[in-house]
Amino acid sequence: MPIHEKSLIRPENLKVHDKLSIDGVDVSGHWSTFIETRVVPDYNEALEKEIAAFPGGDKIHRCFQCGSCTNACTINAIEPRFNPRYWIYLIRMGMEQELLRDKDIIWQCVSCHKCTNICPRSVEPEGVMKATALWLEEKGYTPESPSHVFDKEFSRQVFERGKIEDTEVLHSFLVKTKQPLLQDWLVAIMWGIAKRVPVKWGLKTALAQVFKPRTRSWKKARAAIEDYIYEEGEARKEKLSRSRAKQPHLEAAE
Amino acid sequence: MKPILVVGGGPAGLAATHALANVGQPSILVEKMDRLGGAPIFSGYAKLVPSGRWAKEAIGGMVSRVEQDSLVTVKTNTKVSTFDGQPGNFTAKLSDGTSVECGSVILATGFSHFDSVNKPEWGFGLFPDVVTTTQVEQMISSGQGVRCPSDARKPKRVAILLCVGSRDRQIGREWCSKICCTVSANLAMEIREELPDCHVYIYYMDIRTFGHYETDYYWRSQEEFKVKYIKARIAEVTSDGKQVIVKGEDTLVKRPITIPFDLVVHAIGMDPNVDNMTLSAVFGVDLHKHGYIARKDTYGSMGATSRPGIFVAGAAIGPETIDDSIAQANAAAMSAFAVSRELTKEAAE
Ligand SMILES: Cc1cc2nc3c(=O)[nH]c(=O)nc-3n(C[C@H](O)[C@H](O)[C@H](O)COP(=O)(O)OP(=O)(O)OC[C@H]3O[C@@H](n4cnc5c(N)ncnc54)[C@H](O)[C@@H]3O)c2cc1C
Ligand code: SF4
Ligand code: SF4
Ligand code: SF4
Repeated sequence: MPIHEKSLIRPENLKVHDKLSIDGVDVSGHWSTFIETRVVPDYNEALEKEIAAFPGGDKIHRCFQCGSCTNACTINAIEPRFNPRYWIYLIRMGMEQELLRDKDIIWQCVSCHKCTNICPRSVEPEGVMKATALWLEEKGYTPESPSHVFDKEFSRQVFERGKIEDTEVLHSFLVKTKQPLLQDWLVAIMWGIAKRVPVKWGLKTALAQVFKPRTRSWKKARAAIEDYIYEEGEARKEKLSRSRAKQPHLEAAE
Repeated sequence: MKPILVVGGGPAGLAATHALANVGQPSILVEKMDRLGGAPIFSGYAKLVPSGRWAKEAIGGMVSRVEQDSLVTVKTNTKVSTFDGQPGNFTAKLSDGTSVECGSVILATGFSHFDSVNKPEWGFGLFPDVVTTTQVEQMISSGQGVRCPSDARKPKRVAILLCVGSRDRQIGREWCSKICCTVSANLAMEIREELPDCHVYIYYMDIRTFGHYETDYYWRSQEEFKVKYIKARIAEVTSDGKQVIVKGEDTLVKRPITIPFDLVVHAIGMDPNVDNMTLSAVFGVDLHKHGYIARKDTYGSMGATSRPGIFVAGAAIGPETIDDSIAQANAAAMSAFAVSRELTKEAAE
């Protein structure tokens, strides 16, 4: 049975008639799909384009549904609902509502790239997973994921100075994700480093916290990066808003 | 009358030389192997699609027809080393040191079987009970029957994996090899006939049993022979030491597959002939982007290559069936004949 129809017989989608008789026959109760045709109107035909607008999602149209990615996937082995092949299908068909049922697990991709290595069509499913997770955030379906918070802080420092300060990245990440600064594992690592590293280095690290050194003549590079990010962001926004406007049935439902 | 040079003695080369002889045109057939017949003979195919006839007998018949024809000069264990001249007046130096003059040329140099070692995740070369369709063809045609190479037992469960070495960007092979779906359905039926207790599963992405092959092979294998088709591209073949284990995703029911089999068969594809770079250099013909010999156009002069006077037919062009190869060879023979006769006429005038 095609997935679209499967969704109609989920308990929450079944029609119930408490009292109904047809030609004198009592047919009250749960109605299955075959009694009455129902139209599925909630296709977002621009969904594939939307995902493709995010970095990594641009090769999604190549997929021929072979299932290699899902089978090779690290996460699928422990969480069968994590199914890149299936999500790619939903996205390409525009089944946004079906996709959203799995919104809380899509971000779990660990970027091991096993899927990318096996995919016969070079879809790079890892990128599609990332793109989908970002799309979910941008559309407000999911809160910003911890890994995205980390990435953002990491790249913020790179853009600003051409360098990162590990300690600062970690500190900001823990603060932003409301986690205690004194994590057991962190303390253990710190002790390990403190015991082995020469005093001179320790001092250098401490100073770097205060003065935040930059890569020399970083200004130009920074401006170029910022321009690029701005342009990409604008282009993406436009694509998302355009595809949104083409969805009258969704707007009506809102 | 100058002869026409035909390179490659498979079904296409055999058909071309026979067609030329039929119209009284002499030809020279150059074959690099020690005997004629091409892939169906030297790879020992069993019963052919769609005739159901044994390759040895059907293609063997084409071989003896040509060998007995006084208008065809057969040179086995021979290749063309250098080639020069114009249409109507070519000279080819052969690897046996001789030199031949010819009016035109037909390249019928065929294909190479995909080497499954290039797809290590599917276990060929690692586990003895992972074999290729050519090996199964040989098991059947030799009369030995389908057995597990590890211990010669009769398999109870066989998995045929389609598209091995085809439709795969990872290994630079983007084409569909055209015949392997049908060949696999055919072999599956032969296995079920020989071993009625053996379950045969075919793992597919798409089934491409085109034209009449749909009913004669795909449907028949399901309806009469109960061959089972599962929509999945296998990700990995491993082993528990006793059996081979096939892993993948059954995409229709969204469920993982981890199933043991006695025998796993790779439906290997048709690669461009490994000689094509050399052939392209020697004959000065362009190659197709995938490495086959390129045709100049589709509807004009049949089988024309980028070089006037040189024609191409059969699996040298791309994955082809035997009957299509034969048809192309007849068409190329017509083109080659016209070139050499036209020029002979002009010279006489
Ligand atoms: C497992 C398998 C099963 C198949 N079963 C069927 C089937 O049942 N029915 C069907 O229709 N098709 C089948 N095919 C396809 C079939 O093999 C081809 O259609 C057919 O062999 C093509 O004929 P050909 O003459 O063009 O090429 P080939 O059969 O490849 O013959 C080419 C000849 O040229 C020679 N040659 C190559 N290079 C040179 C050189 N440089 N100099 C001199 N000689 C050279 C080769 O030695 C060979 O003899 C099968 C293919 C495979 C892989
Ligand atoms: S990169 Fe992500 S989707 Fe791909 S195999 Fe790894 S966990 Fe699965
Ligand atoms: S491996 Fe590639 S082609 Fe196959 S289902 Fe996954 S993304 Fe699609
Ligand atoms: S014919 Fe079938 S098995 Fe062969 S490459 Fe094409 S789809 Fe795959």
